Amino acid sequence: MTTTKTAATAPTASRTIGRAIETAARGHRSIPVLVVLAIIWAVFYSQSSAYLSFQNITNLTLQIVTTAILALGVVFVLIVGEIDLSSAVLSGVCAAVAAGLTVNHGLPLVVGIAAGVATGMVVTFVEAQIIMFGVPSLIVTLGGMVILQGLILVVLPPEFTISVAGTPFAKIASTAIPAGASYGLAAAGTLAYAAYRFFQHRERVSTGSLTSLATVLVPAAVVAVVLFGGVFTLTQQRGLPMPLLILAVMLLIAWYATTQTRYGIHMYAVGGDREAAQRAGIPVRRMVLYSFLILGACAAIAGMVDSSRQLGVSVTSGAGPLMLNAIAAAVVGGTSLFGGRGSIWSALLGALVIGSISNGVQLLGLSTEVQYFATGAVLIIAVAVDVVLTRGSLLPGRRA
Amino acid sequence: MTALLELTKISKHFGGVRALHEVDMAVHAGEVVALVGDNGAGKSTLVKIVSGVESPDEGEIQVRGEARRLESPRAAAEAGIRTVFQDLSLCDNLDAVQNLFLGQERYGPVWSGRRVRRHVMEEQAQRVLESLSVKLRALNTPVVALSGGQRQGIAIGRALISDPAVVILDEPTAALGVSQRGEVLDLIDRLRDQGRAVVVISHDMKDVRRVADRIVVLRLGSKVAEFARGGYTPADLVGAMTGAHESTNEGGDQ
Repeated sequence: MTTTKTAATAPTASRTIGRAIETAARGHRSIPVLVVLAIIWAVFYSQSSAYLSFQNITNLTLQIVTTAILALGVVFVLIVGEIDLSSAVLSGVCAAVAAGLTVNHGLPLVVGIAAGVATGMVVTFVEAQIIMFGVPSLIVTLGGMVILQGLILVVLPPEFTISVAGTPFAKIASTAIPAGASYGLAAAGTLAYAAYRFFQHRERVSTGSLTSLATVLVPAAVVAVVLFGGVFTLTQQRGLPMPLLILAVMLLIAWYATTQTRYGIHMYAVGGDREAAQRAGIPVRRMVLYSFLILGACAAIAGMVDSSRQLGVSVTSGAGPLMLNAIAAAVVGGTSLFGGRGSIWSALLGALVIGSISNGVQLLGLSTEVQYFATGAVLIIAVAVDVVLTRGSLLPGRRA
Repeated sequence: MTALLELTKISKHFGGVRALHEVDMAVHAGEVVALVGDNGAGKSTLVKIVSGVESPDEGEIQVRGEARRLESPRAAAEAGIRTVFQDLSLCDNLDAVQNLFLGQERYGPVWSGRRVRRHVMEEQAQRVLESLSVKLRALNTPVVALSGGQRQGIAIGRALISDPAVVILDEPTAALGVSQRGEVLDLIDRLRDQGRAVVVISHDMKDVRRVADRIVVLRLGSKVAEFARGGYTPADLVGAMTGAHESTNEGGDQ
């Protein structure tokens, strides 16, 4: 009996260690990326104290907003085990639609924004249909990217550029919430979160589950520090920039949807094991569709915020490194390319890592290649960590 | 006593291949029936029909004396039949509670975005796992970190969440080591003690003899023999499966 047991467990010793690593890392998947972020900040700060000035931190966060919003959408698609390459160009198309309607056709801003979001969701709806038909998402969205590059030429007016300077469209990015109101928001956010945790605590008490007030106070204190610290830092210039509030609200909604609802569990289940999810009665195709619709909305919002900041839309909107940065951000932040793993915070944290590198390189006046080398290396290391966690072993494994 | 699950003259063809031919089978409350047979005997087809994955060409399925059409796994579940598939169909990235309730979550109203009522699920999970004597260190352990026996326990527990009358276990011990195998056989005994009708498909004659109250032998799509506990020798069993003793065993159950 004993021999059988030993024989069965011995070859899996390395897997057991891997599982222990995984279990530890799973609950705190954000910790490695936070460590990386701290190292990057320490390195640049040691070179220039201006790096961590209030002004530069505000600049940094504004620089990453577009990437972070787009990465948020990408996270939803990665979690269900798909990929997307078209959303950056899509963000340009949506911005062109929205800006064209508001600036060139004089429609109200709300109509333009609604049309932009609708455009994004229609495009990803079509993509999702083709993916569910059986064409791999990599191919559908690669082709989609090329088609959208053509579409943006169609949507843009003959001069291929829309200037939004001085229009209501520019106010999306230029609006700043005064410091007083921002602190009010931080307080409201903290209170709402504490109230929610307290509500959960009461539920547990009512069923006699193990709980204590610490499950309310500790997380609420962390949220308070983050929110008030963030508002204090970001309102040093001229109030809280609107794009950051948009990002914060989107993250909040995404956090609730992915971690607190049935939808969230089903989404992770589809990414974890599609057949098991199917057998459990989860509408797999609908879950994939939802993820792509969310990506479409995120792409549209990212595009509109970005063009509002850049004061215009052109053929280069959504082009360049935006797409790869958004995917890299999601992955660096800890979202698995293999589906089923990762949190919405990876969008923010990964975008911060990538943005911190490029911001620091620019601030120190280093040459651009340093930025590329560092960003690429961080990406590869992040995926290597992901591979180890997914496989549950440090030993080299067979490629699945 | 009416059977909880009763199959009458179930037939199924795939193209020209006869997978099942007029198979009768009944399972009563508090009874474990083992379904055995060589590869291609029709065990998997029968399981698929009873779990709603395939529909029979002919024949009738009664649950608690009521004729039911099991057109989908969902319909089978609603009729009170739950199946634990051989691969367990667990999501490795989810924890024990999430897996136990996968597809049957307890959630709040639509305005809350169908907020999952985790505390309710945890409490019920605790009870179900206790009833099966499955011990976990923590309910929020991802199932990838659990042992084979524990994973089987979670998969069986999931089947029990909706309190089904009939539980079907497809090769529950195939992937397990000796001690975990014993654990799972104990689990099956507990299902019987709970008064459920249990169908076990297995290749392992030792396990079948240990756990089954009755054994139904399929060969080439037909039921060729049925043995009650203690009313057979291992040679009878193998003979029926391979067809060597067909003439002596035929009609033994009539």
